Amino acid sequence: MEQVVANGLYLGAQYALVALGLTLIFGLMNVLNFAHGQMYVLGGFITYAVYGQLGLPFVVAVIASGITLAIIGGFMERFLFRTVIRRSHREESTMLLAAATAFFFDAVILLIFGEKQRGVPKIVKGVFNDFGIILPYDRILVGLLAGAIILGFILFMKYTKPGRAMRALAQDRMAAQLMGVEVNRYTMIGFALGAMLAGFVGGLLATITGINSGIGGPISIKAFMMIMIGGAGVVSGAIAGGFILGMMESVGLTVLRQYGDVTYLVIFAALMVFLSIRPNGLMGKPWG
Amino acid sequence: MTQSQMTRRTLLGAVGVFALAAAGGPAAAADAKLKIGFVGVTSGPAAAWGTSNVRSMQTRAAWLNETGGVKIGDKTYEIEIITFDDQKDPKRAVEGMEKMAQEGIHYVVGPNVDDGAAAVRPVAEKNNIIYFPYAFPKELYTKPASNAVLGMIANYQSGPAIYKYLMDKKGVKKVAFVAANESDPLSQRDSGVAAAKALGLEVVADKDVYQNDTRDFTPVLTPIVALKPDLLVLSGVAPANAPLLIRSARELGYEGLISAETAQDAKVLSEGAGDLANGFISVGGASTPEIASDTMKEFVDRYTKMFGEYNDESNTKVYALEYIIETLKANPKAIDNVEEFKKTMDSFSAPNPFLKGDAKLSYVGVTSFGQKRQLAVPMVVNEYKDGAFQTLFVGTVD
Amino acid sequence: MSISRRIIAVTAFLILVFAVIPILIAVSGRKDFYYTLSSVALLSMASAGVWLTFHIGRINIGQGAYALMGGYVSAILVMSYGVSFWWTLPLAGLFCALASILIGLPILRLRGVYFAMVTLVLTEVARLLALALPVTQGAKGITSIPVEVFGLTLVPDFTMMENPRIAFYYLSVALMTACFALMHRLVNSRIGHICMSLQQNEELASSIGINIAQIRVIAYAISSFLGGLAGAVFVAATQSVYPSSFTVADSINFMLNCFLGGLGYVFGPMLGTLVLYFGWNLLFETGRFQLLIYSALMIALMLVLPNGLLSLGTLRKER
Repeated sequence: MEQVVANGLYLGAQYALVALGLTLIFGLMNVLNFAHGQMYVLGGFITYAVYGQLGLPFVVAVIASGITLAIIGGFMERFLFRTVIRRSHREESTMLLAAATAFFFDAVILLIFGEKQRGVPKIVKGVFNDFGIILPYDRILVGLLAGAIILGFILFMKYTKPGRAMRALAQDRMAAQLMGVEVNRYTMIGFALGAMLAGFVGGLLATITGINSGIGGPISIKAFMMIMIGGAGVVSGAIAGGFILGMMESVGLTVLRQYGDVTYLVIFAALMVFLSIRPNGLMGKPWG
Repeated sequence: MTQSQMTRRTLLGAVGVFALAAAGGPAAAADAKLKIGFVGVTSGPAAAWGTSNVRSMQTRAAWLNETGGVKIGDKTYEIEIITFDDQKDPKRAVEGMEKMAQEGIHYVVGPNVDDGAAAVRPVAEKNNIIYFPYAFPKELYTKPASNAVLGMIANYQSGPAIYKYLMDKKGVKKVAFVAANESDPLSQRDSGVAAAKALGLEVVADKDVYQNDTRDFTPVLTPIVALKPDLLVLSGVAPANAPLLIRSARELGYEGLISAETAQDAKVLSEGAGDLANGFISVGGASTPEIASDTMKEFVDRYTKMFGEYNDESNTKVYALEYIIETLKANPKAIDNVEEFKKTMDSFSAPNPFLKGDAKLSYVGVTSFGQKRQLAVPMVVNEYKDGAFQTLFVGTVD
Repeated sequence: MSISRRIIAVTAFLILVFAVIPILIAVSGRKDFYYTLSSVALLSMASAGVWLTFHIGRINIGQGAYALMGGYVSAILVMSYGVSFWWTLPLAGLFCALASILIGLPILRLRGVYFAMVTLVLTEVARLLALALPVTQGAKGITSIPVEVFGLTLVPDFTMMENPRIAFYYLSVALMTACFALMHRLVNSRIGHICMSLQQNEELASSIGINIAQIRVIAYAISSFLGGLAGAVFVAATQSVYPSSFTVADSINFMLNCFLGGLGYVFGPMLGTLVLYFGWNLLFETGRFQLLIYSALMIALMLVLPNGLLSLGTLRKER
């Protein structure tokens, strides 16, 4: 059982980090970014190229992933999403733009990096095996790094000027604007930050689970589920959602395995029931 | 805008698109071109399956064309490969098959998965297309179906041979199965479980599934590893998932054997699992040094030159195009008459250029399907070792 | 709009789909377009359902679930109970409508992305159910569904036609025409106006005595009916149904069709489906750059016409 909990925690940490960037972008702009998973994949491939192919240190690679994605994210907001949001009658229209961007990334990644699953050398060798828990050291390290990034992000949002501005924007766009927050600037920063988080997590996880040009879409969808559980647009919600989904999978796969092919059926059905009872997730604010 | 304007705009749009489409349609086929089709998945999470297929075909076609084309009857043909990406969607696969019919193609490689292969059947039969799916459902190949030819070894053929070998040579007694919760892997798991039970093996896990988009397999494998099986079978595993499953199982302390009945790629395994993948057993085609002929080695070279990197999955996928061309050579009338092709299949035999020695190309499948609707691909069972595959044993299918 | 102009528009449309397109196909010899256009017709029906839920202010990414459900209902009725294909069409639709009422009652209280997400999950639940239930034959799917269905009862000369694809085309297009005629009628009726008010402000609508829960469920049931119907016809065309016949990708595409056509226009889903589905096919000859070109065009379209293709007219007026 200890093992199951440890698995769940590790899975949760990685899920939470995936969900953070998505929820940030959603909170700021009401954009459900279908391309989030593709950003993650791109981050993974950049780490693959820098660390795996060029042989530079892993830290450099992850930072390169984050920065590249931040730049791409900034451009996406400035030249794509801002235009469409300004001109469309219904803000849901950005979903088509987001999906088209996702397809575009898919195509580019497939053309550049090919169809094969890629992996990079392990960052730390060895496996921790004590107290009934087996956990490879590289997973522990990645789990800790994920935790550190999450913590850093929370502190950034709480105590820095851009962080406060973005929280104000997420809470009430109009009011924030009236209070003198430069809406356009901070929306762009927020989008870049969300993309950067996707790049970081892609780079980090490339060492554990490798990277593959086709998984962007499924990852986006999984991330959607996490932010729904916790409550969309709320940072604490995304973290909670990530850990809950991670734990559900880990426990579910162990407890329900004797019933056969129903594990995920139960998880998803439970998710539907949960949302019917709590229509805004755990701590989300009502979004029309 | 009023409704009528809108209707009109829709109409105009429809006509416009149509005109564009008709204009952009295929040009009339040149006399000396032989078109062979491919309908399968070359994008998305399963892109590797179809891509290795397409690239094998393109490599071989370019090679044949470079050396003057293919002489069928008294005409020399240039081979042209027409590809269609069905995105692993059965509806698109039908679309692709319709396109092939439209192009006047009679021989199509693919689709790569069960649902696609079943969905294209009506179209293929109606339009006289022989197709070579990489999908295992028996009813595709047994009567009354007659236009599908299985392009590789089915898992219910290779599985029992592998289990038997491991029982005899490695003393395997307890087997566990794990599969993705999709049609192909689940069907393969079920037939694998049946085969293992028939051999008298104890099956300790036959219900564990994962979502195909899983990136971390530790939670799935934790309870299975605790059962301490001697053999862990990854049923219908996608090449992308195999190294992750192997790595998770090994890191959890699993010490038994791991095997799969699908083709894998050595590079993917070495990048994804490193030394942990040593001893992993899978099914290959012809590229291990022990059995590959010079033709096969040159094929790998040309493939690598053309696309930058070889994919070991192509070892099993190099065959379909070769069979089509050789059968057409044996009976030139079959070039636009699939009934002639079917007749030839019963007696066809030609040397296998990809294997050392005097191996033959022929159609098999009587035992499994009651008619010859399968390519005789050598059943090469490989063991992964330090970045390359080694031949464990070579079997045959009848 | 005057009645006579409406009649002209409708007649023109009917002539186009029932006469002009078949003639164009005959002239150009592109017989494969029969299947393509039949697919467009059926998929646009399912998208029309999604559009209707947009009309009540809900983002529906769950239409794939009902299309799959409808497909299975039809396949099971034909295979296990020997029901005629023609009867399975309305039955599949009704089954989906009933199921959607049960599902819709709790989940229609959700809004915005929450509703979108819960319907997305529903698509996956439907796929996993199809894998797990005995009646659907699980992973093996239901295959070799007899094609004689086209020969029975209503249109006896279907099998006589030289090409069943043509029969299939006429069937799909007829269903699509009926579906959009109905949608047009519905949207311009009293219920349609109420739906519109739901989209803008549910609280307000509720305060003036409209039973919003009931209206929402009715709209969702109609939507699911269309999804189920489309799924059932598709299954007859491929003579097989698998858990993966309609997936999350389809659900997302149905939604994208609505966006592309324009959320404000009844005929948006039809045009959106035509462009998105047909567009992909037309790019088939670009080979490995297909997805790249396709997605780049989509982004460009979105930048120029963020309110959908049909907003082209209003755009010109604004300027």
